[in-house]
Amino acid sequence: MSRTERLTPSHRLWARHHPEPDPIAMKTLGFWLYMMSDALIFAGLFAAYAVLDHKFNAAGGPQIKNVVHPLEAFVQTIVVFTSVLAYSLAMVGLKARNRMFVLAGLLSAFVLGGVFLGLEINDFATLVAHGITPERSGLMSIFFVLIATHGLHMAFGMLWMAVMMAQVALKGFTTEVVTRLLNLRLFWVFQASIWVCMFVFVYLNGAF
Amino acid sequence: MSAHEADPLDHPEVRHASPLAYVSGYLLSVIFMAIALLLTLRHTMHYLNFIIAVSILAGLALLAQALLMFRLDLSKSQQWKTFSLILVLPLFVLSVGLTGWMFHTLYPRTMMHFMQVQGADM
Repeated sequence: MSRTERLTPSHRLWARHHPEPDPIAMKTLGFWLYMMSDALIFAGLFAAYAVLDHKFNAAGGPQIKNVVHPLEAFVQTIVVFTSVLAYSLAMVGLKARNRMFVLAGLLSAFVLGGVFLGLEINDFATLVAHGITPERSGLMSIFFVLIATHGLHMAFGMLWMAVMMAQVALKGFTTEVVTRLLNLRLFWVFQASIWVCMFVFVYLNGAF
Repeated sequence: MSAHEADPLDHPEVRHASPLAYVSGYLLSVIFMAIALLLTLRHTMHYLNFIIAVSILAGLALLAQALLMFRLDLSKSQQWKTFSLILVLPLFVLSVGLTGWMFHTLYPRTMMHFMQVQGADM
């Protein structure tokens, strides 16, 4: 019996009795495991921040309370959460097989991601204009690295989102496109989860 | 799509999208973070109480996101993601917590004299 003969519509790839692995679930689980390893990269950075968040490591320069603005960070929090909501609602459009709904959700998430990055870059530019750079002290180094690592994740997520908008528009909902959309959703929600840790343990704890 | 593939939009991971869950997850996350912000701005708590309170709020926001945004549960399509997260979480918490604790107890024991020389107080 050939492969094509075995895989009839009644034998869906994710059916329990199916002889072959479900490609969508296999790839989303693989991507999820990548994100778990990415979480451990952030754990290393948070650990370094926990070590360096001490007067001694400020080297007589600014401490965290001098560089963080919790209210402004809360605005960033709202923006990143709303971007994640927009992407998630795009997945509701995917479920409804509505291509325009999906594209609108992706575009909204992309724009809000851009607003978040713009606020972050503006924050960095203001600090640098006041002479507060990563070279100033160990504390400032880890502060910039930690925030910028998350910012880089957001930037790559936006790049991926732009690619997915093109793929949805050109290819429609093929198995590959749907799998990538699901993986990007995991990646984008993960950025909001990491931001929760940053907002609370860097911006709020630092400002207290 | 080739003839042997089933419709990807029928996949359980697509079908479990829920606007109600997503909006609830969003609202809960915003509310928990808003409470944490208020605790910071009011500055009425002792530091230890404050850090416990905001840690709990962060935990609740992350739980809301895991359950309502990631839609993690013990269903066939999600159970391995749930298990792997449960396995990774202690590594995350221990690596951050133990490293922070180790160095913050190390500082006063090894750097006190130097910090006094520098005029920094603990």
